[in-house]
Amino acid sequence: MRRLLTVLLLASAAVGISLPARAHNVLISSDPKDGAALSAAPAQITLVFDQAVRQGYAQVGVTGPDGAAMADGAASVATEKVTLKVKPLTAAGAYVVGYRILSADGHPVTGKITFRLTAPASAAPSTAPETAGQTEAQTAAQTPPATPPGTVTASDAADSARAAEAAANGGAGMAVVWIVAALLLLAAGTGVALRRARPAETGQGGDAPATDASRAGGPDGEGRA
Amino acid sequence: MSVEQREAPPRSRALGGGAVAGVFLACAVVSAVVASGLTAQEAVPGIPMPGPVVAYGLPVVRVVLDLAAVAVVGMSLLPKLLGFDHPGRTEPVMRRVRPLTVTAAWVWAASALLTIVFQTAELNPGSVPTPAMIADYVDSVGTGQGLLFSAACALAAAGIGLMAVRFGEKVPAELRIVVALFGLLPIPVTGHAVNSVWHDPIMISMESHVMGAAAWAGGLAAVTVFVAPRRELLAVVLPRFSRIATVCLLVVSLSGLVTGLGTMALTPGVELPGAILTSEYGLLVVAKLALAALLVPLAAHIRFRLLPAIRGGAATAVVAWVTAELAVMGLAYGVAVAITRASIG
Repeated sequence: MRRLLTVLLLASAAVGISLPARAHNVLISSDPKDGAALSAAPAQITLVFDQAVRQGYAQVGVTGPDGAAMADGAASVATEKVTLKVKPLTAAGAYVVGYRILSADGHPVTGKITFRLTAPASAAPSTAPETAGQTEAQTAAQTPPATPPGTVTASDAADSARAAEAAANGGAGMAVVWIVAALLLLAAGTGVALRRARPAETGQGGDAPATDASRAGGPDGEGRA
Repeated sequence: MSVEQREAPPRSRALGGGAVAGVFLACAVVSAVVASGLTAQEAVPGIPMPGPVVAYGLPVVRVVLDLAAVAVVGMSLLPKLLGFDHPGRTEPVMRRVRPLTVTAAWVWAASALLTIVFQTAELNPGSVPTPAMIADYVDSVGTGQGLLFSAACALAAAGIGLMAVRFGEKVPAELRIVVALFGLLPIPVTGHAVNSVWHDPIMISMESHVMGAAAWAGGLAAVTVFVAPRRELLAVVLPRFSRIATVCLLVVSLSGLVTGLGTMALTPGVELPGAILTSEYGLLVVAKLALAALLVPLAAHIRFRLLPAIRGGAATAVVAWVTAELAVMGLAYGVAVAITRASIG
């Protein structure tokens, strides 16, 4: 019985330590910075966390001074950076960037940063392309064929990042292995315990076979663990 | 609903077993909902947030999971506390306990699976989780795997419990205890962890915290509900439990302090002395510390004032005192549910 107990406790200690547990993500910086007053409208928002953000589940929204959603597409995750393209910001005033990401420890983490746009956006970034005129139209014409391969590689990168994350994490496959191993261990333990308990209950005469049974069962249980 | 029915004990008789368990359950559920509500992450503009069913349902399901696990651990400890020398006296108690252990293990497994569903819903606000979403969640998030593992252990505990119903004490008590504790192991994975060389020590500290708390609260509840009405049995069992409880008190408070302060100290952007009172996590740590401090005089009163009389077989107000202690423990369990989800920074 002691031996059974020791084996099970050691197994549980091993499982306890090897189970992946990660920390809660914390926003450490952003571009634009929280509370920043900008004269030029940013083309994208970047949030930087202290550690890798989970692929998928990341949501970022930008709300303008008039309450309109200014996000252009969905947020993309590259390890600890979450970026979001924004539509051209035209109105001056306070913008709120809200985020809800899946923390490395599996908890959703929400928060927000704010920034102010002091000048109407036609001032800095969009005037430069406008003066370019023709070239902007050309680049615009060029970009659509350029983007599909770009997005494909981006989604490929996202896929491989997800796969790497799942591998680091164990994935559901690993969880099933753990559960099956634990159940086998428990079944072996139960078998040993029952074989041992039966002769002990019928009388003292069964003591020697009982220890044999536990001895025979012991390595079996350890082997499966 | 059933919580409120159980909360008011019939005045005609002394606090019954169901009432004691009901107070524990009610305190834990209320505390979990209140603490989670107070520390809920605020809605941010532009981001859809989970609806009230998830916001209130998740803490409730989670606390039911904790309490079912506590019940299984406590009732599994009971045969060891009762001893095997006088089956004539202990067997009537165990005949009631064994089927209830199986039921509690099923509740544990069901609430663990339900927690997975609710957490999937939390991450996909505005939609009812589909099996594909749940599979994706379990596949990609460690919490889902941990809960699945816990559910599997709970089912194993139910299976072994059924064997105990069939074969009685031939199924060794140690096995039942170890399987129940085994199922508690993944629970800390559902909480916070830190990303540093201190990861493993803090995980071990959290594991001992969870196990110590379950053994303490579960053992106390099981002894009170099933043994307290039999005074001659209580005279033997309570002193035995008292020794375990003393160890648990030390383990739980020490590991709680280490885990709470360690997690905060190792989270970037958290300034330790100040953050205890400014961050939600810090305030919840303080709340748990206050509840633990409240437990000490209650436990000490039972241990040093009532226990000598109980040992002598005298009638005491022990059930009322233990109910008070369990109420505080229930509050602590509710806060624990909130603390696993509160933001540290």
